[in-house]
Amino acid sequence: MWRLSKVRHKARLHDNSSEQLRLKRREQEKALRQARKDRQLFSKRLLLNEDDEEELYTEEQDVVKLFQHLQRCGPEKEASLKHLRRALRHPSAQNTFIKLENSMHLLVGLLSGSSSECRLQAVCCLHELSHAPQSTVSAAILPASSYLLTYLSGQSSKFTELCLYTLGNLCPENDVIKEKLLSQGIIPALVNCLETQMHNLALVEAVGFTLSQLLQGSKAAEKIAPIVLGSRLPLLLCSVLSPDPEFGLAPAIECAWCLHYLICSCAPGECSILLTQGALSKCSSLLVSIGGTVGEEKTDEELELLVWPLLRCVGNLVSSCPVELLPGEVHVCLPAALCSLLHTYLKTQPALAREAAWVLNNLTAHSVDLCSTLVTCNLLPGLIQLLPFSHGINTMIVRVLANVAHKKKFYDQLVHVGLLPALCATLKMADTEMVVLSLDVLYMLFDGNSKFGEEFVKQGGLSTLEALQYNHEGDLRHRALYLLEHRLECYLS
Amino acid sequence: MDRHVFGNSCDDNCPTSSETEGNDGNPFNFNPQVIHLPKDHELFEDGDIQRHMYLQNLYISAADEEPSLRVAEFACHISGCSATFQALPEYEHHYNSLHRHVCCMCRRSLPTARLLDIHIQEWHDSLFAVLTLKQDMYQCLVEGCGLKFRTTKDRKDHLINIHKYPPDFRFDKIKKDSRSKRAQSGTEMELCEPEGGCEVDCSGSSSQDLEPVKMNISEENASPMETSVPIAPDPAVTAKPQYSYRVPSNVCFGQGSVRGFRGRQGKRK
Repeated sequence: MWRLSKVRHKARLHDNSSEQLRLKRREQEKALRQARKDRQLFSKRLLLNEDDEEELYTEEQDVVKLFQHLQRCGPEKEASLKHLRRALRHPSAQNTFIKLENSMHLLVGLLSGSSSECRLQAVCCLHELSHAPQSTVSAAILPASSYLLTYLSGQSSKFTELCLYTLGNLCPENDVIKEKLLSQGIIPALVNCLETQMHNLALVEAVGFTLSQLLQGSKAAEKIAPIVLGSRLPLLLCSVLSPDPEFGLAPAIECAWCLHYLICSCAPGECSILLTQGALSKCSSLLVSIGGTVGEEKTDEELELLVWPLLRCVGNLVSSCPVELLPGEVHVCLPAALCSLLHTYLKTQPALAREAAWVLNNLTAHSVDLCSTLVTCNLLPGLIQLLPFSHGINTMIVRVLANVAHKKKFYDQLVHVGLLPALCATLKMADTEMVVLSLDVLYMLFDGNSKFGEEFVKQGGLSTLEALQYNHEGDLRHRALYLLEHRLECYLS
Repeated sequence: MDRHVFGNSCDDNCPTSSETEGNDGNPFNFNPQVIHLPKDHELFEDGDIQRHMYLQNLYISAADEEPSLRVAEFACHISGCSATFQALPEYEHHYNSLHRHVCCMCRRSLPTARLLDIHIQEWHDSLFAVLTLKQDMYQCLVEGCGLKFRTTKDRKDHLINIHKYPPDFRFDKIKKDSRSKRAQSGTEMELCEPEGGCEVDCSGSSSQDLEPVKMNISEENASPMETSVPIAPDPAVTAKPQYSYRVPSNVCFGQGSVRGFRGRQGKRK
């Protein structure tokens, strides 16, 4: 159904060997994890014109000569700029270029000049520079920013797209650049662009990308998020969340990540702006449709790229939603959709399964209705099946089951689906948190009906509780002892 | 109660028994929590990485390497035993083999209840020691044989000659001098499996303080082992035959072990 359309104008890897590709991916993943630890995680994107894809890796040319030619030539500026653009693909050329006297001045001049072809080629050059790995290079193009922002309200689609990605690459560099862009009005410019170009999904994707770059930074919560929240952007972002079957997931993905960053910048419980604009209901409906899809067909659709931010939006928005309104805000099939996502991604993306379980915990924490949905939609057996899996999945699932038990209305149903034998096994697990939570659930069940104690003993649970007396964790020992002495005393020989 | 919790759970803050509410020291305090996660939370790490792999055109949907899903491990709960297992039957086997029939006195683990009985009788029972001077007390280890012998050597010869046992059968060790035993770290365990070793810390105090030979039968209830661990004496246990230390009122594994846990407050380490 939804297909992530193949990288339209983005740089492709020409590495034909899949082993090399795998290696590169693994290295890059390691680098990204380290960058995240250092709070320096950001990425840049590069647009390519179709016609120069074949020349992606031309030899390095003498950029000095090209620049000199550009300065001197008259009517062939456009051709000269094209050569320059290709040359600027190489990092060493990028470095050289920015150090040349008046190089930026020339480019900015061409960017704002009267020739539309030269403007286009100039912005391509700037775009290449913005994609440079060295921050000195990309920072050097800052003088062009006011023009780039101005052109966002222009009508030329391709040109605007290049401006957007150039700005997007520039955003995460440093705080000085961000400050300057903010004061030059990047937020209103993005709002305006999105509003007027909603029909143009390539531009929606580009706006989303640029905004996500702004919002992702560590200081975004204090400075940038309030401005964005006060604008029309949240409403606009929500309205473009539904993926287009033709165009693909990309615009929705970008906008969903923006929403996620926005929600994270609100203090817990204070995201009412986004709630009133329907973010929770929109995200939950979308998850329901995706949940329905992944259940039916094999997912090579890369839907998880959209599922991830949506899960986080819903998960964190729940804390801002009053309990009594929660069943009204979230789609009634959301618990079922979450369970479906859990099972679908369990093996391929366990971290995503864990996040789905987290959302389920938040939904069931205080809402009797949503717990009831879990029971009536027969979702409990599927959850119990997930208890053997680690990676944080089982602790989250047992929390969900504890949430249901805590409501005091569903004891029989919980036991009926085999919770007691499952707990007999989880009590033996290595993870302390898992065992503590399992004991908590047992306690609640025994409180609900003492015959469950008898059932538990029949399953052979007594010896496990006895063994827990010897655990070095006090939490475990006290709980196990309490159960033996105060709930199961009549079964002790 | 604060609904909003940063990070994972409040379980790390669970109160100790001294802080619990309720008259009977009820340690259970589970409350459902809405967990709010900040942007940089570790739970979000994998998703963030995938997002950026996508931005850098390196993303692929299906894992091209072996799946990263892990099954939860099981672990032996006995303090000091660090064995972990990938499957429940392995755990059960471990527990039943090494922790079920453990002598409280010397922490030796025997594979069956019968061998444990025999061990306790022969190693830790003063009355038994006295009786051996006058009659045949050492039972044959083979169930059903029923023969008894005056010395351990006689029994061993019987086991080797009649029952074809190996001369170095593990569960027929001669009792060591108690002094030399005390000089050890006290962690020796006789195991039925060569690998692994579990220190079963049966008593609240170190059992080096035990001196079974000196223990006066009439002072069973005031044994050194008991005084070092404050527990309410269990009346049901004191009714047991006096020479059996098999189920002392404080702790042991084995049959009837459940009774041993009553009234015990909290344990070691």
